[in-house]
Amino acid sequence: MPEITGFAFPNDIHVHWSLMIVMYPYITGFVAGAFIVTSLYHVFGRPEFKPVARLAMATSFCFMAVATFPLNLHLGHPERGWYVLVTPHFTSAMAGFGLLYNSYLAVMALEVWFVWRREIIEAARRSRGLRRALYAALALWTYDTSPEALEIDHRAVKVLAAIGLPLACMLHGYVGFIFGAVKANPWWSTPLMPVIFLLSAAVSGIALLTLLYQGVSKLRRARPEPGCVSGMARWLWFFLILTITLELLEILMLAYEKSEPWHIISELLTTRLEFSFITMQMIIGGLIPLILLGIVVMMDRYLHERVRNTLCVASALLLLLQVFSMRWNVVIGGQLLSKSLRGLRSPYVPELFDREGILVAIALIIVPFVLLWLFDRILPIDEGGPAPEGPRREAETGVAGA
Amino acid sequence: MPESPSPTPAAPAPEDPARRDFLEQALRLAGGAFVFFCGGTAAEAVSGAAGEAYNWDEHRYAYLIDTEKCIGCGSCVRACRAENDVPDGFFRTWIERYVVGPEGSHVDSPAGGLEGFPPVQTAFTPTKSFFVPKICNHCKETPCIQVCPVGASYRTRDGVVLVDGQRCIGCGYCVQACPYGSRFLSPRTHTAEKCTWCYHRITKGLRPACVEVCPTGTRQFGDMKRDDDPVRRQIERERVAILQPHLLTEPQCFYLHLDKEVR
Amino acid sequence: MEHARHVFRAALVLVVAVAAVMLGRGLLVPRSYGIYGPYRADNVGEQMAVREPRHAGPAACAACHEKQATARTAGGHRTVSCEICHAPLSAHVRAGAVVARMPVDPSVALCARCHRRIAGRPEKFPQVVLEQHVEGALESGVCLGCHDPHSPKP
Repeated sequence: MPEITGFAFPNDIHVHWSLMIVMYPYITGFVAGAFIVTSLYHVFGRPEFKPVARLAMATSFCFMAVATFPLNLHLGHPERGWYVLVTPHFTSAMAGFGLLYNSYLAVMALEVWFVWRREIIEAARRSRGLRRALYAALALWTYDTSPEALEIDHRAVKVLAAIGLPLACMLHGYVGFIFGAVKANPWWSTPLMPVIFLLSAAVSGIALLTLLYQGVSKLRRARPEPGCVSGMARWLWFFLILTITLELLEILMLAYEKSEPWHIISELLTTRLEFSFITMQMIIGGLIPLILLGIVVMMDRYLHERVRNTLCVASALLLLLQVFSMRWNVVIGGQLLSKSLRGLRSPYVPELFDREGILVAIALIIVPFVLLWLFDRILPIDEGGPAPEGPRREAETGVAGA
Repeated sequence: MPESPSPTPAAPAPEDPARRDFLEQALRLAGGAFVFFCGGTAAEAVSGAAGEAYNWDEHRYAYLIDTEKCIGCGSCVRACRAENDVPDGFFRTWIERYVVGPEGSHVDSPAGGLEGFPPVQTAFTPTKSFFVPKICNHCKETPCIQVCPVGASYRTRDGVVLVDGQRCIGCGYCVQACPYGSRFLSPRTHTAEKCTWCYHRITKGLRPACVEVCPTGTRQFGDMKRDDDPVRRQIERERVAILQPHLLTEPQCFYLHLDKEVR
Repeated sequence: MEHARHVFRAALVLVVAVAAVMLGRGLLVPRSYGIYGPYRADNVGEQMAVREPRHAGPAACAACHEKQATARTAGGHRTVSCEICHAPLSAHVRAGAVVARMPVDPSVALCARCHRRIAGRPEKFPQVVLEQHVEGALESGVCLGCHDPHSPKP
């Protein structure tokens, strides 16, 4: 039984939205954030992101694949989950999920197809038997790799990325709306919520790509391009500043206005969420990466490459923790305070083996990386890379991506 | 399913014109094509045998609570539990005790008031104390129906907010959205549940179980469409309050003699 | 646009997929959904019939238990429903036939729930400090030694 301080409504003492509901915005945050990275190249033409553009797209795709799992695992009736697609009640932000998820999935699938079409066709030509049939089907039985067709592919990717970017933002923004529009919960109810969610999604996406790029380069024994690393650090710093500003702003406004819920919210922040909010989200996850990335950005010229890489990796790791803490503090924190505005319950500790427990959450994080590895086996992420069965011509491909 | 009086529509009424959402209509058109073809059958399904049918258009229910009369006996909580098989640890109705003094206030609800209230000691000197029964407010502008993603939560034409246990997917959004803490996810059915104003009783002319047993007349149930209804008269003429009025949920559960300490 | 053939093919696949989903959706919407609003209209009838009412009110008890009923309506417990101290009618009578004895609870806790003196009860309401009101131990049945539950004084 949870311990209550003060008075909580008798039905309020249960935390219904568990670790899985923390994982869902975390994962869709990666989806949106990775897509922002790939769009920075494909739509906005930022050249420093070319080395990670394909990796980012594949990452976004692989995380999309697991995005529905935390939701289904959480439902009281997972077998009825498809009702949201059949009888969506559109006054509910949650009902938008079916439409947004499937639209974004379609856009993503098409974009992946257009980007990797040449490799698919080449793989089809090189393979035999079942493999050939599969690749041919993937290519939709067209084999046009002429420069005109590839030019059309480029344009299609640009259009799809332009459509996909607002969709990705909505896919994650609506999650912020789900919380922000609940007037019953004063910790959640703020118009800033979708914006904060989206900006911290960008932070998590870029941080993830930073780590992936460094990690993949290390695996390929290639050198991460300093231009790309600096570029990502700059954008990461920018989004981090925006995110922290807004997160702090929300608290400051509440504290300044001192409306009725401030009393219980300040108690929540200083007692139940002291570690996860002040220590993790603000200091370890916020202030320290802010300083580290500030060094990378402002002193870029003076930094040795290895120092830069280390600082970026360290910041990225801390930021992944920061974004997780932020999701935790919003989702779980909001349920620790009772709607009576007079009571707090003891902190929620997820089970280890539960359907909505810690092991499942860890699995949900690991699976996309496995999928990413599988993705690379079928459709090589490095551009100009060899056929799937061929040996990796590392010396020639050299740097990850061309 | 036993033969039961069902609401009689004048005709298979089209959806409430207030719902002008194009997408919703388009989807319903697509999905409802099947219904349309069998329009006759569906209409028959919801209208009961002529003459016996309960007509929900003739009623608009409301609830009135007089906190000055409540003695905190908990009979209502027990009756509701017995009438509706409410799972342990969850409450469709409960009672809160307020003990208030100039230096502080103390609120408690031991097991929702199920076994009454034990004596309480407070660090401060209380100057007033009272009991406040709580139930689902069956709001007109509910946040809970607004956020249901599958249309499991709805409001009947006689003003009762219900949850379709077969449609509910157990996402818990409505539980989060209710400002009054009236809803819960049942550990038995894994769907959302809450006070139904004993819909199975009121549609037969009975009163909800909590109103039926209340020994002090604290709880009253009425029909705003009946001319001589005492609840209607009190709501229209006395000074009544509602919970959390700033949220504009338009609750249909009204309170007499509500104190500022109550949320 | 011969070089755009693959684009049209992809578009076709997309259109077919969307059409299939829309069609599938349409078949899966429940019959009574949408008649009165965005919900399953059948559920209204289901909720009306979810169970037989279990409480019946004191009038139903009076039909067989005249003596207790008369005593009750004449005494201090005239507003106290029989079902509060006993149990809902359905525990005792179902479909007109007796199915079990009505539970009778002589414990102090039952009377104390209403009549123990605690903060919050209106001053005029009859309440006592049990330890001062009763000489001796507060054991089961001690209230019934002086008070007739159907017509306690006053």
